[in-house]
Amino acid sequence: MSAEVKSVNNHILPHGELDGFIRKLSKKMKVVAPVAKEAGNFAFQEVSGASEIALKYVPTVLPPKKYFMPQREKMLDFDLTGAQPSDKAVIDAPELAVFGAHTCDLAGIQCLNMVFSERPRDYNYLLRKEKIFLIGMECNDYCDENASCALVNSHMPSGGYDLFFTDLGDRFMVHVNTQKAEEIVEEMGLAKASPADLAALDKVRERKRSVFRNEIGVDPRKLPEAFAKGEKSKVWEDLGARCVSCGNCTNVCPTCYCFDMADNVDLNMKTGSRNRTWDSCQFETFASVAGGENFREARSERQRHRYYRKFKYPLDKFYRFFCTGCGRCTRTCMARINLKETLKGLAKETV
Amino acid sequence: MTDVPKTAVRPKVAFFDFACCEGCQLQVANLGESLLDILGAIDVVEFREVMSEKWDKDYDVAIIEGSITDSHAEERIKKIRARSKVLIAYGACAAIGGVNGMKNSFQLDEIRGYVYGKDYKFFDSTKTRPVHQVVKVDYFVNGCPVYPPELLEVLKCALRGLPYTVPDNPVCSECKLNENVCMYERGVACMGPWTKAGCNSWCVNNGNICYGCRGEVRNPAKNAAQDVIGRFNLNPETVRGKFDMYNKCKEGDNGNK
Repeated sequence: MSAEVKSVNNHILPHGELDGFIRKLSKKMKVVAPVAKEAGNFAFQEVSGASEIALKYVPTVLPPKKYFMPQREKMLDFDLTGAQPSDKAVIDAPELAVFGAHTCDLAGIQCLNMVFSERPRDYNYLLRKEKIFLIGMECNDYCDENASCALVNSHMPSGGYDLFFTDLGDRFMVHVNTQKAEEIVEEMGLAKASPADLAALDKVRERKRSVFRNEIGVDPRKLPEAFAKGEKSKVWEDLGARCVSCGNCTNVCPTCYCFDMADNVDLNMKTGSRNRTWDSCQFETFASVAGGENFREARSERQRHRYYRKFKYPLDKFYRFFCTGCGRCTRTCMARINLKETLKGLAKETV
Repeated sequence: MTDVPKTAVRPKVAFFDFACCEGCQLQVANLGESLLDILGAIDVVEFREVMSEKWDKDYDVAIIEGSITDSHAEERIKKIRARSKVLIAYGACAAIGGVNGMKNSFQLDEIRGYVYGKDYKFFDSTKTRPVHQVVKVDYFVNGCPVYPPELLEVLKCALRGLPYTVPDNPVCSECKLNENVCMYERGVACMGPWTKAGCNSWCVNNGNICYGCRGEVRNPAKNAAQDVIGRFNLNPETVRGKFDMYNKCKEGDNGNK
């Protein structure tokens, strides 16, 4: 941490100059940022100035993954008119700046990067990611009581961004993490951070260490054991009895990436396209196969699967939790299924 | 439309209406440009709302709007079924009974007396039934009115002889993809958590609640309903009333659909 703070790549942007920064950036590319919606909700959407942006916000309805893997995406066009059928891969990857992603969402993108870089690589994701300029925004305090970012250690920045903003009261500390970011900061003429600025950043981080504490009172190092022993835990029955199977929890999750693929033929029956859409393991049809077998017919099995896909399987495969502690699944659940309570209940029963 | 082979035999398609407002047929007339593509692919031989011609041979595809609410209608739909290779239940009234199903909340004679007065016995009336409770249905196009992109998908499936599966996930699954603010968080009870998706959360995208017009998902969360009602401090009677507006005929399905 201290190495990062002392690095030469820190610049300063006074609060009053944020608007100019966003305006200049939006002349170069489309800029999206969290914007306040009804009933205390927020969503990433296009902005042209700082006044539209919610600098303090509860995680948006959908995480910024929607820009990396859109909800609905065309993969290819096909044509059966000729002697041989032909197809052409399609990618829509506009130059884009995502401003104000919290560290939980940056962690989510890091998870997706690992998944889609695996072979066979997902070129639509990877090409689109190359076009996205990612600007993080530090949380100096909790967004609300549903977050569990300290549990999974995503409350502090750990890379995965081009620029990273920390609010120091009247100015932002801007950490430059990539070549592209360096060019933009130079172009914008941002001043270098002074030793006093770095001391202020240290102070913010020091304070955070006392504000952000393990939210469930269970050592995260105990969680692998809890999940190893917990396959038959009654917490899954309880979740199954409440679950609506609406898929809200997976759609809003920054690390859920399952999709369904379908060919859509035009009315001429000759041309068409292949499209993918986000899918959810919470849907009854998700694990059903030809012949009528369904591998996860019960809601309890599907909910358990979701938790194992966050706290067990990715740990075995990628050596990290695929929960970023953003709290979205808890906030969005129609039936009040609560991630923190579930983990506490599981740990109590198993470790 | 231009590249449709001239030699192709376009299937003979007929539209029929039963107890309904004919609004779903109007959706066809309102399709705009894609209507021209459809007319390039099919041969409409009977469609009372837009043309006066009739057809006396068999139909390749019969598209049925409306629900079956008297014995005359039952006879008529059976005759149409016998003349049709493929039958499509089109719109909420045909697919799930729709608002006509509210009749089933009352004693038949009581409701007949209310509508027709003391001589109600001269006026034939039966319990409201969706088309599949009377004759075999090959395709369902749900919705009040139908969602035009889904109508196109069903037509394409019918023309290719492929099955069309109505999505059996709650409307929430599409609503969340559209990043709408949840109606419940705005303090309004919405039928989305129990209603079949496939409409791309059309109503919620436009600031309205889901009224449940596409019918209940096959396996709704019965216990969860209590959690949802509890979480948002709602009156269960209000929710039940909203649900019955479109879904009363589900009682006649015996869990088969």
